[in-house]
Amino acid sequence: MNVLCTTVGLIAIYLYVSFVSLVWDGLDRRLVARMQRRVGPPLLQPFYDFLKLVSKESIIPRDSNKMFEASPILALAASITLLAYTPIGFGPILATKGDVLVFIYLLALIAFIRVIGAVSSGSPYAQIGAQREVIMLASREAPMMLGLFAILWRLAKLGVERPFSLETLYQHNIWEIGTPLTVVGSLVLLIVFVFWLASEIEVGYFNIPEAETEVAEGPMAEYSGRHLALFKLSNSLKEYASASLVVAMFFPWGLSQYLGISGIEAMLVDLVFHTIKVFMILFVSMSLFRAITGRLRVTQAVNLFWSRILSASIIGAILLVIDILGVIG
Amino acid sequence: MNSRIEYWVKIPIGPIHPALEEPEKFIITLDGERIIHVDIKLGYNLRGLEWIAMRRNYIQLLYLVERICGICSFSHNHTYTRAVEEMAGIEVPERAEYIRAIIGELERIHSHLLNLGVVGHAIGYDTVLHLSWLARERVMDILEAIGGNRVNYAMNTIGGVRRDIEEKHKRMILDMIRYYREEVMPKVEEIFLYDPTVEARLRDAGVIPKRIALEYSAQGPTARGSGIKKDVRYNEQLGVYPELGIRPITPKEFTGVIKGDVFDRMVVRVGELWQSMEIIEKAFDQMPEDKIKTFSKDNVALAKLKKAEGAGIGRYEAPRGETIHYVRANPGTDGPAKWKAREPTFPNLFAVARALVGEQLADVPVAIASIDPCLSCTDRVAIIDSKTGKKKVLTEKDLLKASIEKTKEINPNIKAKPEPVGGICGGVRL
Amino acid sequence: MTPEELIKRIKERFEVEIYTSQTKTLHPRERIWIEVSRNDFKELMKYFQEIDPHAQFSIIIGEDRGDHLSATYHLELFCENSPSLSVAVITSCPKEDPKIPSLGDVFPSSVPYERENQEFLGIIFEGIPDPRRLFLPDDFPEGIYPLRLDEKGITPEMVKNAGHPYKIKKEGSK
Repeated sequence: MNVLCTTVGLIAIYLYVSFVSLVWDGLDRRLVARMQRRVGPPLLQPFYDFLKLVSKESIIPRDSNKMFEASPILALAASITLLAYTPIGFGPILATKGDVLVFIYLLALIAFIRVIGAVSSGSPYAQIGAQREVIMLASREAPMMLGLFAILWRLAKLGVERPFSLETLYQHNIWEIGTPLTVVGSLVLLIVFVFWLASEIEVGYFNIPEAETEVAEGPMAEYSGRHLALFKLSNSLKEYASASLVVAMFFPWGLSQYLGISGIEAMLVDLVFHTIKVFMILFVSMSLFRAITGRLRVTQAVNLFWSRILSASIIGAILLVIDILGVIG
Repeated sequence: MNSRIEYWVKIPIGPIHPALEEPEKFIITLDGERIIHVDIKLGYNLRGLEWIAMRRNYIQLLYLVERICGICSFSHNHTYTRAVEEMAGIEVPERAEYIRAIIGELERIHSHLLNLGVVGHAIGYDTVLHLSWLARERVMDILEAIGGNRVNYAMNTIGGVRRDIEEKHKRMILDMIRYYREEVMPKVEEIFLYDPTVEARLRDAGVIPKRIALEYSAQGPTARGSGIKKDVRYNEQLGVYPELGIRPITPKEFTGVIKGDVFDRMVVRVGELWQSMEIIEKAFDQMPEDKIKTFSKDNVALAKLKKAEGAGIGRYEAPRGETIHYVRANPGTDGPAKWKAREPTFPNLFAVARALVGEQLADVPVAIASIDPCLSCTDRVAIIDSKTGKKKVLTEKDLLKASIEKTKEINPNIKAKPEPVGGICGGVRL
Repeated sequence: MTPEELIKRIKERFEVEIYTSQTKTLHPRERIWIEVSRNDFKELMKYFQEIDPHAQFSIIIGEDRGDHLSATYHLELFCENSPSLSVAVITSCPKEDPKIPSLGDVFPSSVPYERENQEFLGIIFEGIPDPRRLFLPDDFPEGIYPLRLDEKGITPEMVKNAGHPYKIKKEGSK
């Protein structure tokens, strides 16, 4: 019974999230176009793109090996698994003792699978794109993990049963503690996470691996047809999951307590409210960022991460730790 | 055992690449992300213009020369007429010279706005592309009102210009200049002089030191950005420009520092936009009332040119640099014995290829976009040819037939025969 | 430096034919045309570099003049305040022995123009650092020089077009 419920819930969430993330894609393109004084494509454009890509022929280069065809399927599988561990208005479906670690691992795994797919395609552009992706991946994990664990530790002191699970984010939130050190530390970590989100989605400053004008779409240079459609879908799912993490950490309030409903209706209402919050965070981090800035060089972006964002993350973590250990006041 | 193993990878950029507007092939040898050697192969846009030119007369060449390039079409037209006028000793009335200066500066404005957008796109800053091309629409509307066409407005003829600028055009142009001064130029300056992304990407990218720019004879904003003060309109005292107060513009007047990188070239272009607007206003103040053509009809010009002899060289400053045309007369016939042109992208390409050694790969599209490559101009010599054997060459009749059949699928009532359209002084047949 | 001074200095050192041409514009522009034999040619170019190290090399115009091939080189010499000097140097070589010394070491920017004239006219530049083809495709037949007017030019079989504009017939045949 439990297994059946979980499977049905997972499939339902997968369908819902793919629909919603493609809707967000269309909305984002429309908003960016309006910011650039153009009209922009219709709202359902990503659906048309997806259907058209699926119906086109997939060209397989002569110099590729078997991993070329396997990578899109693996990436989509990893994204669906990632959905089982994301907080979406309530705790993740497969919440266990250490699901934070599984979440971080799966995020890195999706990027890694893209790199493998790029390298096995045999194109020199894809090789350069893969190099850049690996460097960006290594740089953005450190501040994110530091911040995430600091916040989880702080929340765990309020008494939860599974400190390393993403459920704790829904049992207490970081703003109700109220001490000045925590508030300041959390604000610093919020800024760090907004940059991390932009870098995870690869927009604006960090649109480096898939730089269209420099390396002709980088890792995706040789993909077409069905494979490209699967990669794009897994990208959209990853966007949604990363934004869900940021929303759950910093803005986890739900509507169902105020409306007094419970049961399945509560879950649905929470899900929709969470989706709206995800759209707002993605608007700040993706649309605005993309319309306002250009692309940095890879050395400059790596420099930005290791010198500025990592130090901000360390400062935020130290503030929270000082609060935990109760050294001051 | 401290030897570093270097893997050298050869990457082709082009012929078809999202960063290039026109096909050319750069073969770049890389070590990681550092460039070791750049090799250029041209010839993808070869159309056989010089061979055609040996079989046309002077007036037909006016139209042929104009279609070398879309963005600098007026510059080629102008240079060719200067070469022919020098060869035959023809005088041009003063009002025609002023009109030529005005249209030349309008073309310069539209070409520089285009290039600002292209460089913005090359660094991933799409908003700059869309907004600057939106601003460019105003100039294109004016050029269409004066010349009848957004590109390839055939304004020049041998001995003057074809159409006059009337009062209503003058009001529109002055209105446009006011609009640009108040609304567009402050934004352009804010982006290209002060924006942090632009400065982070364009500073110290694609640096061409002054020595290399001199050796490889770079032209136009590429050379002026490296600190060489030369401008054909100033050095050659061309036409009526010395009275309009023209000077070469270097980045020293805007930022005070000359480094020869992409940022400096964009600063030079922004400076030239300001200068073009001032020149147009001064030209309107000083323009006299006069006739605009020396010969009332083209046949009269042809008759006079049949008797000319000698050779003439015409030079002009296109938006990209120095354009030079050479015409040699064939006394007794109505066509030249030899016509040759060279446009500024050719030496600029080689200068930037030499200067890219030691830079990063990410800077290659930006550096190439910053010299404003116009390769339709570069590949203009040789031959109409068929690669014997392997491919089937479609003649114009075949292409016409294919396109008519496609229209027939949509609308079966079309009655059209695949006949090429010809005329006496018409366009060019390829 | 005015054109007369330059002409005087060159005539002192080399045996050349010089004439000037002037345009008939508001500010008349003088151009200096120098005809020199190919033996003295490289010395003359080196002398120009001594006079003005900033000299700009513009173009090489190769022509087929019937029994000999000529090449015209255009230079621009910059002076302080006066308009720059525009100099055109003409050398020629017979068709049986089409060799002209290359300027690759004096003006590095002349190498692309020399490559272009090598493939289009068949002039062989001695000492050129990079003799590959520039514009023509690699499978273009050797020995055919497109811009020549004699038998080595383009043969009529290689031309495929829709017809001359004056002589077009109803069906558009050649």
